[in-house]
Amino acid sequence: MTRVLVVDDAQTVRLYHRELLEQDGFQVEEAVNGLEALERLAGTTYDLLLVDVNMPRMDGYTLVRHVRENSSDPGVPVIMVTTEGAATDREQALSAGANLHVVKPVQPEALLLQVRLMSGALS
Amino acid sequence: MPLVRRDADDNLPGEERRENQRDRAGLLEQLQDPRPAARRRAAREIAGDATAMDAICNALEIETDAGSRHAMLTALLVTGGERAKARLLQLLRSEDAGLRNGAIEVLQGMPGLAGEYMDGLLSDPDSDVRIFAVNILESLRHQRVPEWLQQVLQNDDHVNVCAAAVDVLTEAGGPECLPALEALPQRFPDEPFVDFAVRTAVRRIQGPGGSHGQ
Amino acid sequence: MGSELRDGVASPGLSGEDFARFREFYYRKTGNWFDEAKRYYVDKRVLARMGITGCDSFREYFVRLRFDADGSELQALINSMTVNETYFFREEYQFQCLVRSMLPEIAGRKRPGDTIRIWSLPCSSGEEVYSLAFYLLEYWPQVDDYDVELIGSDIDTAALDRAREGIYDRRPVHALPEAVLRRYFRRLPDGRHQVLESIRDSVRLTRVNLQDPLETRAYRGFDVVFCRNLLIYFDDAARRRAAETLFDALKPGGYICLGHSEFMSRISSLFRPARFPEAIVYQKPEEADQ
Ligand SMILES: C[S@@+](CC[C@H](N)C(=O)[O-])C[C@H]1O[C@@H](n2cnc3c(N)ncnc32)[C@H](O)[C@@H]1O
Repeated sequence: MTRVLVVDDAQTVRLYHRELLEQDGFQVEEAVNGLEALERLAGTTYDLLLVDVNMPRMDGYTLVRHVRENSSDPGVPVIMVTTEGAATDREQALSAGANLHVVKPVQPEALLLQVRLMSGALS
Repeated sequence: MPLVRRDADDNLPGEERRENQRDRAGLLEQLQDPRPAARRRAAREIAGDATAMDAICNALEIETDAGSRHAMLTALLVTGGERAKARLLQLLRSEDAGLRNGAIEVLQGMPGLAGEYMDGLLSDPDSDVRIFAVNILESLRHQRVPEWLQQVLQNDDHVNVCAAAVDVLTEAGGPECLPALEALPQRFPDEPFVDFAVRTAVRRIQGPGGSHGQ
Repeated sequence: MGSELRDGVASPGLSGEDFARFREFYYRKTGNWFDEAKRYYVDKRVLARMGITGCDSFREYFVRLRFDADGSELQALINSMTVNETYFFREEYQFQCLVRSMLPEIAGRKRPGDTIRIWSLPCSSGEEVYSLAFYLLEYWPQVDDYDVELIGSDIDTAALDRAREGIYDRRPVHALPEAVLRRYFRRLPDGRHQVLESIRDSVRLTRVNLQDPLETRAYRGFDVVFCRNLLIYFDDAARRRAAETLFDALKPGGYICLGHSEFMSRISSLFRPARFPEAIVYQKPEEADQ
């Protein structure tokens, strides 16, 4: 089963992503901030990370940088979700190492499509 | 013997204490030391000194070492006060996500402090600042918290600010928030997420068996 | 129900204001935070100290506490407030992780004859730091190749005295294998067990307040820190400070073990989680400067 880690401090967002992805056959796990995501990543691998930017303890950019630079699975696909569509957010997300940047609130069909594509669920 | 005990090699026990205490001027200077470990230590030892808040914030704004940044934020948290608060609020506008979120965390830990700034923050032209204000509200113990959140739900034009408020109410809301919550999806009819979040919050507030009315 | 004062009149306990002032003060000194639910716990102990010191009112006691020059009343109060509960081989999987995973890795960065420093903070009455000693001697084959320094620290001087004495009744030793009990303890005539002198002599015990940056400043260069079941008593600010102190106490690449209900991801971004087969622990990044 294709596994996705949802990293967001907002419980409604985590729940939304969980229901959306589970309906589509994904297995979903959650983390409330970047550090908790690293704790999970230390023990297992995922097919995709769906990551918020602003979170306490460790923000999303720092998390992605850390995953790319010194984790056991540096190539895992990452989608970053930010509040604004501003060019700087997009640049920061991509330069931190995200593969894709989407803007909140997410549009469910579009997000699902991207998740399917990037997690390899379609292949 | 593989286990060795060295009593004499250093001054481990805490007994030495006070003679080591450095003067304030020395510590302020040490906040600029080129070695991060020295800056960290200076921040830790100056914590509690309300007159050092500006110096710490100046150092914080150019700090690149994560550990020193952590210690400077902690010093602000431990010390509190007007000056620390005002400077932290400015950091909400930083381009640096780590600094921004560090400031939010510290402000959240200063209950009662951010209260009088809320009205201003919630009407800031930058929607991200308004979102951070809602995040701070989450852990603010202030009687006006429900009122502020309802205001956001009724008046804020930005969907993400409203969504942040719904998220806070999911955990902290009472029955008095239900009308404002239930009216929100009509303000953003094209956002399925808002509809979902509101339904979640309403369910949590009503609790098990509380779906009366429908 | 308050406890009895000297003159035998039942006291109603601390007023709401007194309680608020006391807990602020105690928090500032030790990082330990008492919520409303702990009121009876605090009342009982403060009233007992008032009785012992002959203070008739909370106000009088509080003045004495705050202006007491040598800090002896504060220490006595702390000794009565702390929760010292602990036992040998508590959360044993972490000791297993130490000898099977952490130490082999640390040793890989060192040469035979080098020193490995391990800190048990808080060590309470000694069970944790002696468990470390037993575990190393019993289950780490390379122990003879290195000089291992074990240091146990706590804020509570009465607990440290018990640790120095090393005498335990049945309860704290219940989880020890029979062989360990036989090899490292002496059975006293009254049935209790005393840790062998050779072990007690090889462990250093010190009093330290983790919340005091001046007191902790000399603690440096540790390869592993066990900091278990202390952070749960702290609030957010005190936890952050504790994390900073532990960060400075560790060498880059050094490990920290927390209690099973304590998570660094809820406290501080200074450390990185490190997953071993036996446990998740936290690591000071290798690239961190000293
Ligand atoms: C429950 S015991 C934990 C003992 C052992 N680590 C374990 O997990 O079994 C908690 C200890 O923390 C100590 N303590 C409380 N505040 C402290 C502080 N600020 N600095 C150092 N030790 C402290 C108490 O004295 C007590 O002995």
